[in-house]
Amino acid sequence: MHNAPVPLFELVDVTRRFPGVVALDRVSLALAAGEIHALVGENGAGKSTLINIISGLLPSDSGQMFLAGQRVAWAHPVAARAQGIVTVHQEADLFATLSVAENMALEQGLPVGPGGWVRWREIDAKARQAVALLGEPLDVRQPAARLSVAQRHMTQIAAAVSQRARVLVLDEPTSALTAGETEWLFGQIARLKAAGVGVIYISHRQEEIFQLADRITVLRDGRQVWSGPRASIDRAGLIRQMVGRDRAAEMAERPARGNLAPRIARLQVDRLTAADGRFVDISLTAFAGEVLGVYGLIGSGRSEFARTVFALDKPRDGTISIDGRPRTISNPAQAVAAGLAYLPEDRLRQGVFRGLSLRANAVLSALATLGRGPLASAVRERAAAQDQIARLGIRCRDPEQPIAQLSGGNQQKVVLARCLLTQPSVLILDEPTRGVDIGAKTEIHRILRQLAADGTAVILISSDLPEVIENSDRVVVFRAGQIVGQFDASELTPERIAGAALPGQPSTETTSTSRSARGRAIRPVASEVALLAAIAVMFVALGLSTDSFLTSDNLWGLLASASVWIILSLGAAAIMLAGGIDISLGSLLALAAGVGGLVLKLPYASGVTIPAGILAGLAVGAAGGLANASLSLWGRVHPIVVTLGTMTIYRGLLISLSGGDTITDLPPDFVRWSSTEFFGVNGSVALAALAALGVYLWLSHLRSGRHVLAIGSSPTAARLVGISRERTWLLAFGAGGSLAALAGLLELSQTGAMQSGMGSGYELRAIAAAVIGGVSISGGRGNVAGVCLGALLLSLIYNALVLWQISRYHYALVTGVLLLAAVLVDLAWRRLER
Amino acid sequence: MTIAGARRVLPYLLPWILLALAIVSVASQTGRPAAVLNMWRPWGEIGALSAVMTAIILTGGIDLSVGSIIALSSVSFGLLWHGGWSLEWSAAAAVSVGFVAGAVNGTLITLGIAPLVATLATMACYAGLAMALSRGERIAGLPESFTTLGQDSWLGVPNQLSLFLLVSLAAWIVVHHTRFGRYLYAIGENRLAAEFAAVPVRPVEWMLYAASGTVAALVALVYTARGGAVVPTAGAGIELQAIACVVLGGTRVTGGRGGLGRTVLGVAIMSLLDIGLQFASRKIYVPWSDVPWQPGANARLLLVGILVIGVAIWNERASSAHDA
Repeated sequence: MHNAPVPLFELVDVTRRFPGVVALDRVSLALAAGEIHALVGENGAGKSTLINIISGLLPSDSGQMFLAGQRVAWAHPVAARAQGIVTVHQEADLFATLSVAENMALEQGLPVGPGGWVRWREIDAKARQAVALLGEPLDVRQPAARLSVAQRHMTQIAAAVSQRARVLVLDEPTSALTAGETEWLFGQIARLKAAGVGVIYISHRQEEIFQLADRITVLRDGRQVWSGPRASIDRAGLIRQMVGRDRAAEMAERPARGNLAPRIARLQVDRLTAADGRFVDISLTAFAGEVLGVYGLIGSGRSEFARTVFALDKPRDGTISIDGRPRTISNPAQAVAAGLAYLPEDRLRQGVFRGLSLRANAVLSALATLGRGPLASAVRERAAAQDQIARLGIRCRDPEQPIAQLSGGNQQKVVLARCLLTQPSVLILDEPTRGVDIGAKTEIHRILRQLAADGTAVILISSDLPEVIENSDRVVVFRAGQIVGQFDASELTPERIAGAALPGQPSTETTSTSRSARGRAIRPVASEVALLAAIAVMFVALGLSTDSFLTSDNLWGLLASASVWIILSLGAAAIMLAGGIDISLGSLLALAAGVGGLVLKLPYASGVTIPAGILAGLAVGAAGGLANASLSLWGRVHPIVVTLGTMTIYRGLLISLSGGDTITDLPPDFVRWSSTEFFGVNGSVALAALAALGVYLWLSHLRSGRHVLAIGSSPTAARLVGISRERTWLLAFGAGGSLAALAGLLELSQTGAMQSGMGSGYELRAIAAAVIGGVSISGGRGNVAGVCLGALLLSLIYNALVLWQISRYHYALVTGVLLLAAVLVDLAWRRLER
Repeated sequence: MTIAGARRVLPYLLPWILLALAIVSVASQTGRPAAVLNMWRPWGEIGALSAVMTAIILTGGIDLSVGSIIALSSVSFGLLWHGGWSLEWSAAAAVSVGFVAGAVNGTLITLGIAPLVATLATMACYAGLAMALSRGERIAGLPESFTTLGQDSWLGVPNQLSLFLLVSLAAWIVVHHTRFGRYLYAIGENRLAAEFAAVPVRPVEWMLYAASGTVAALVALVYTARGGAVVPTAGAGIELQAIACVVLGGTRVTGGRGGLGRTVLGVAIMSLLDIGLQFASRKIYVPWSDVPWQPGANARLLLVGILVIGVAIWNERASSAHDA
């Protein structure tokens, strides 16, 4: 045996099983330095699983990986990236609310300098360097949400290129790119190849594969069926390998079925166009007694088309007739009533109700016919389920068995039973055999041919070419949102259909221009500028309408009370930014102030009790926040439920401690403190300014603060870059609790007394201030300046109510209306973002 | 019994153990069962809210605004009656106010706002509206023909308990024996799949919150009649007690699992524990200690809070262990 050079990266006998399927069966792959290795196969062949194992998202069940001859294993994407394995996934998962530059930096961990400060300059410079590769100007400081799909891909690829990758994995990188952008990409790949980087390249586009690849590996049904240098295979040969030699032969011998004459049109779709343009002018007819195959790659518009026919999405244009009658169908319930049934492509997310029984799953769409009026009949439901179990051969104990206990294939049959129980005249099956074992697959094929023979029009959508060819009487092919080919029974060969569906050239029809200029224009105006304007208007209105507003007493008093709100709102905001919520903050504020007050009253010198009281209060706040976070994390219960409970617990503890009495007679030094001037500034205001500065520095310039925003922006992306949800939530809730305590101590100092009802309802005002200040309720978006302005605006409004002598009974209403307005504004922003 | 078997059975036993404790605590403290029935009146009101809340929580939603709707309906009733409307028309108007308030919740939620956030906001709005309309004043002097509604009994059963039983029965039929009820479980289990299965998700949610507002208004009438006066802060915090009952019974907060029977059990536990504590406002002799323990308002707050969190976590962990 001669001495072969050690490959840069090697997989040996990698196996991965999922319940019911072997996704990868002893797959081996060797990648040399400077080599481009194309990985091809149909959807479901195991490519994604392989990529996920390489990039550290999934562990393999058995097999080894070697990097430059060294055995490697990683439990985590971050570990893989640290070793120089960089993956650009097809579905870009990013932090939509964070900047492009930060998204790039988070992938490798934010760089920090001495003292833990995030090096923003380095982050921006690196990002600019990477974006410079794109050759088109792009602001790296804009939120990633504003990038078009193509731009997201290109920036990710640019970041990967500039990251000194040793192995670069590209999953369908050109699927969203135009011809020009694709050319750019190939230029980058050539540069990397020259620099000795190994590239694993996944694509459906034959032209690209034959243009780029040095070696090709074909996967089919989780097995490696062919591997060799590009020169040793041609296009037809490659398709044959992807589809399978035996099955290709089998398909050629498919017995022709007799034509049913006369043909009755069940479904007629005329010039249907998607509202978002994902497919355009689709016309097709499905006849009774036939299986109409719809072949197309993911993203070709075939599933979007099916969803629109079933009225899950609204069309822009087009008409649908069922059994010869034109129908206006505006929701799925009407679609079912009209005789349509749809089996969704993603069984786990769109099909199965995991916690419900087989019976409940099966009868759900047919309840109207199985009951009497509005009443449901368990007996008839059971009988119907039994019927389907027998008819479809569902293997189960009995109809009441939880569906989660069934195998994937049997679960799919239950979803199919749900479709059949509505007695459809048109049945649309979207990837009916994805993730299903071979036995169940054969049975599902038999069932759908039987259905067609019984007079149903069956539409079989699939990216499994043999499945389409074996089972269809006719096939239409989708590509880039259009029907690009129609084939009758006599024309059904894998080469012709695949040739039509696989784009030979990079598509020129996709647009990649930046979409939303309006989101860009509206957002900043809607937040800080609008808030400043509102504050200015309030100022002018109050100054003109009352004499007492512009007095220094009133203004300082206003600022002092605003200080409490600013601090508390910052606390609420820190928690919301992390994607949490805390409605115990009002009680916690009171509890911390109560504990602080009790310590302050201890019979020692005020030089001892004041610092001790403040520390005790802050400790209570931090502990309360940490308790909220840990209960929610450990108990896996939404923070709203936990803080609903702790809200009453903290209040109860306060009453236990104080005995329900008012705490007064605090040390005069403590009470005086909040109105003492520091450098000409009132103590309260100085404290609020310090707190705001502190929170700003934390959230904007420390790594832990950025992680708070990252986890709120996208928990899944945060997991990919190795940010700990536990640590970040503990930090955010702890900080929120501490800030609430600080606000409580400040109010204690301002009023000099503490009642057991203090702080009730404060949490709502604080959340309202944060949302008005631009903090997203779902997390990840917002800043300190906005929160401060929001709190200030609320305080001004309350001041106005006092000065205009509006009854204080309107205060609660104003809070409520503002909170509601803030929620609606938040909703409007989210709609704009989309 | 194996450990795995015990883990499967325990979640179902826990509520019964709590109930037994609650019954013992009441029975040991009272020689007058009739008094217990009267102390049940507020719990009849909370129980009626819990029944509807169960249906909402089954879909994975929540309605925090029911307490405020009670205040708003009560104030509307009082003001209209004060303004010269007849009792019947005032009551009918109050119920319509509750329906509209609930319908607003439903509309916000079908627009795509999380139920938690939407009803948090309307909770503040409705409470504020009640306060603003009444200018913070009580409306007293309601005629006896009205107040008997909240103070009378029928066949020895306090009216509040009858309301509770009626609403629970209706909710039980809807949740467990109608198409609508089947949809609730489907929505709570997997909202996206429910849409794909042609479940009318949005209409169901809208009707649910509108019903919740309507029942809250009914409760407002009995509540007002029991107190004999319209109080603008009526119902504050009652939503938490209702949610506590639902959670305590064992309905999962994230939806899809639970039912009406469990909630009735939860109401029984909460109410008996609470009544037990009220009786014990004298003293409880804890067996292992010589010093008597005297619970107060704080003890009830602590108890509710600890039970809500404890049982929510318990259920969540037990059901995920069951899935695994």
